[in-house]
Amino acid sequence: MKKLFRVGLPLLLFCLAPLVVSAQSFRVQCPTSTITHPDLNKTGNSSEPAYTGPTTLSPGTNGFLTPTANVNGAIKCQQIGGGDGMSTMGDGTQIYMFSFGPLSGLADIADGLAGTEFPNVFNTVYPGTFVPGDPATTLGAGAGGAGTAQNPVPIAFPYNGAVGLAPDVDAIANGNCVAPCLDGHVDPRAIIDVGVMNGNIPAPLLAMDEDDEVFFTLTNVGMIMRPDLFEQHTVHFHGYPNASSFYDGVPDASVAINIGGSFTYYYLAPDAGTYFWHCHITPPEHLQMGMVGQLYVRPRQDRVPTGGDLYTYLGYQQNDLRTKCDSNADILCSNPLPAVNTGVTNPAAVYNAATSGTNGPRPGYGYNDGDGSTYYDVEYPIQIHGFDPSFHFVGMTFNPEQFNDMKDKYFLLNGRSYPDTVTPGPLATQATDGKMHFSQPLPSIISIPAGGRALLRISDLDVTEYQTLASLGIPMTVIGFNAKLLRDQAGNNLYYTTNSITLGGGESLDVILDTCTDPDRASHPTTCTAPLATGTYYLYTPNLDHLSNDAENFGGLMTEVHIN
Amino acid sequence: MNAMNTKMITSKSRLLVLLVLALLLTATAHAAAPGITGPSFNLTAQASSISQPDGAAVYSWGYGCNGAPAGFAPAAITNTFCNSMQVPGPTLIVTEGQAVTVTLTNNLPAAAGNTSILFPGFNVTATGGVPGLMTQEAVPGGTVTYTFTASSPGTRAYYSGTQGDLQVEMGLYGAIVVLPSSVPANCTGGLHAANLAAEQHWGEADFRLAPAAYDHASTCYDREYLFQFAEMDPKIHAAALAQVTAAGNCTAGAPGCSLNVPTEPYQPAYFLINGRSMPDNMDPNYALEYPHQPYNGNPHMHPGELTLIRVIGTGRWQHPFHEHGNHVRILARDGNLILSQTDPTKLGGRLEFTTDTTPGQAFDGIYYWSGKGLNWDPYGHHPGSNDPSATLPCTPDANGYNTGAPTAINFWEWCQDHNKPVQVAPFGDVASGGPATLPDPNIFANGPWYGGSPYLGPDATLRATGCMSSSALQTNAPNCGASGSTPPSGTIANSPSSEAGFAFMWHSHNEREITTNNIFPGGMLMMMLVDSREFVINESN
Repeated sequence: MKKLFRVGLPLLLFCLAPLVVSAQSFRVQCPTSTITHPDLNKTGNSSEPAYTGPTTLSPGTNGFLTPTANVNGAIKCQQIGGGDGMSTMGDGTQIYMFSFGPLSGLADIADGLAGTEFPNVFNTVYPGTFVPGDPATTLGAGAGGAGTAQNPVPIAFPYNGAVGLAPDVDAIANGNCVAPCLDGHVDPRAIIDVGVMNGNIPAPLLAMDEDDEVFFTLTNVGMIMRPDLFEQHTVHFHGYPNASSFYDGVPDASVAINIGGSFTYYYLAPDAGTYFWHCHITPPEHLQMGMVGQLYVRPRQDRVPTGGDLYTYLGYQQNDLRTKCDSNADILCSNPLPAVNTGVTNPAAVYNAATSGTNGPRPGYGYNDGDGSTYYDVEYPIQIHGFDPSFHFVGMTFNPEQFNDMKDKYFLLNGRSYPDTVTPGPLATQATDGKMHFSQPLPSIISIPAGGRALLRISDLDVTEYQTLASLGIPMTVIGFNAKLLRDQAGNNLYYTTNSITLGGGESLDVILDTCTDPDRASHPTTCTAPLATGTYYLYTPNLDHLSNDAENFGGLMTEVHIN
Repeated sequence: MNAMNTKMITSKSRLLVLLVLALLLTATAHAAAPGITGPSFNLTAQASSISQPDGAAVYSWGYGCNGAPAGFAPAAITNTFCNSMQVPGPTLIVTEGQAVTVTLTNNLPAAAGNTSILFPGFNVTATGGVPGLMTQEAVPGGTVTYTFTASSPGTRAYYSGTQGDLQVEMGLYGAIVVLPSSVPANCTGGLHAANLAAEQHWGEADFRLAPAAYDHASTCYDREYLFQFAEMDPKIHAAALAQVTAAGNCTAGAPGCSLNVPTEPYQPAYFLINGRSMPDNMDPNYALEYPHQPYNGNPHMHPGELTLIRVIGTGRWQHPFHEHGNHVRILARDGNLILSQTDPTKLGGRLEFTTDTTPGQAFDGIYYWSGKGLNWDPYGHHPGSNDPSATLPCTPDANGYNTGAPTAINFWEWCQDHNKPVQVAPFGDVASGGPATLPDPNIFANGPWYGGSPYLGPDATLRATGCMSSSALQTNAPNCGASGSTPPSGTIANSPSSEAGFAFMWHSHNEREITTNNIFPGGMLMMMLVDSREFVINESN
């Protein structure tokens, strides 16, 4: 039905609405003050305050509740482009994708981090001039510079703002806005230069903190290799509880943005957990072709002040009807107060006003557990996916697509198959524009300090079959499933230890790899007396036919875990 | 013209036909969990054809009623029928503790050989027929009887126990629902009574089979649906038909009077919810154009209603099924309630946004949608409006919901976001001053289930699009449709003026399964609509 509307509806709209408002439809949104985040402290909502209790809400003059004190969370913004691109498989094959690419947070994403930025970062203008392929081109990728498999170096790109952001000169001239007037107006040239053929697999990583307002702008730059397709794209925030259908990204149930336009999706960050996102246009096609990405929400517990008793602070969350979990009243909440008060307090490493909410790595918790049981020293988003090279070849050309014949031949962890999974730094691919692009920025090597705990945020967006991921040597403890803490309504943790997990497409779970063997580990999650031996361990699939890269009987769904 | 263009044109014209059909039918089509009552059931296994949205009539085998059943449930559904062959088979609805008798007559073609039924989860006594590998079987033309006590509540599968790789693939499967013998008191009081009062106020019938899924106070529900997932490889069905035809009226047991249908390699092309592919599954229950596929998949619900979904995986593949809009609490698997190990008054099942189904396995889950946490008012309330519906109060109960007024259209509104706007700019008669700016309506495309605005329900949508329904003057946007708001054109399956629900896609996330014989959309996909209270959900059709 959507295919019908793809042609018919725009035509219809075109006929009905000859009064086209403006030629330029690209724009971004990242306010520094909103109803929910009124910026009482005049910081531009660009840091995460400590969580000391619920936001104080008071009736305002407009008939709704407004925050008047103790405002939690911040504002986060991100821009992504929807289009196409090329990526490199483990056997060296370059494969065509429909894909999302970064149009903000370019440096963070090239460093393997999320591209979700505070307003004071997002709302900055690039001091130079973008060239196609950036940031890979400027960094010299492919010419011995950053981003080649052979020569990974730390990414030294200076800019994390919104690509294309420019002063709104018309508004300034009209007297409606005072210079520099960064109101979301963009220069489309920069967006096209950076956004075309710039697809990533997985799509740019989103990360947010509970209580954040998130402005996520999808800019549809078109698919230059398929000019015959006037494809819309959307963002489906998979698992968003109590979603509105408007921002759910299902084109059949909402609206979808055409080429040349931007659509800003607005979310209040939902309950903490590991979600993911993807395009929802013709899902069997667009997901197989690569429009899949990762997304997680950090818990309020990450913002408990140092030394704060976690049980007490989870108790504070019961004082706000939005954040409380009363199992007697709500059958769909998963983190009531734990049955056992462990008395665990927050270590100093977790909350730091200067870095909390930024994309840099730091220790934290998977969920608001109230007992410290989901503590991690390091976290790794891992997305399982599969590519069918025949379908991608057809997708690059003009043939009908056979969904029933779909058969994945490349099995991917963060868009890479072994041995690329253990290459540090971003993988670059030369696209059909002749430029190197950071096609697969996210490595999948897991590095854990000896005695420490790693949280693996694992999601699966394979569109054809279930996949299993096993751990060799380090037990897996599953603490969350589908972005919910594994806890029963009586407060008992339902974590389980296993050596493998199995996921179908559209599923996620959270695994802790604990490199500490202390028998009383639960009572001291942040210290260890008997760590596992340092060295290399493996994550791999026991679906043994998936340990392959197309015709090569080697590679596939496997990566290394380094205990340092 | 190249091959692709040809394909696109055929598929589009085909879809156009489907769309028109869908238009004619979806307006009143809703689901429920319909079936037949017993406790004695007289079933037959027969061959016929089931229809698919690409126009195919697929030769299949199914269970059906051998004569009129004792009754149909729920009582609010009329126009029921139970033909002698249907896929899935009749849903058998019994009550905990009843002695159930199922008599099966084998009216399959003689070449198909014996057949039978397995009832996993029950202690079955089989009488008559001939011994088979797993149970007593009915020979062609013969009968067999299965008796058992409906020992515990829940949803379970039944299916053929004879050459299952062929017979289940051909369609010999169904569901048995056991209702609890006693209903916990809290399931008929409190908010459940308020939901019932709201239904009665708007003239909705109660389509539930019972107020609780189990003899447990945490299993109350306000609405329910049953979905059976299966996939189908048409090559197997074509081979079976060819061999049955070649065998003619052969005598059972005679040389050559048998089938040798290869069931591997397996390449399904149809992915079914209750025997139908999308969009057929959103046509009514007991629609006359599907004489052999009476059950639909077209869930609707109101905010705050606890909705029980009874789901069974049939066939041979697993399906990760994604319920957009919220999580599902798994209550039970195969009729086994999952409780906390330390406090049996509390639930212990997982919360999932993508529920796995495995062949032969059933689960019961609870889902609801309330809009809590959106951070904006989905009803688009506007204190400055002249429309009384736009200025309704929201009085939070102990959990923050407006549950004190079951007759109000914002019954179950989440009050913390009451009156809170989402949009920066004025949007019809909905308050402005919010955080987000919508794209220019000229640069996006509307979906057929888009309600015409970001808001829930016709009152909010008509105000948002400048077409306020009351005679009162709009406080903003005086002219209908000239407000610069979203043109609600093309929203054919979710009328902005009468429904304007929030539509959520419920679908297999093995995304290639949301196709029908290689055409998207189709297959294992249905749209779930959250409807505001103004919209009367009528599952009777």
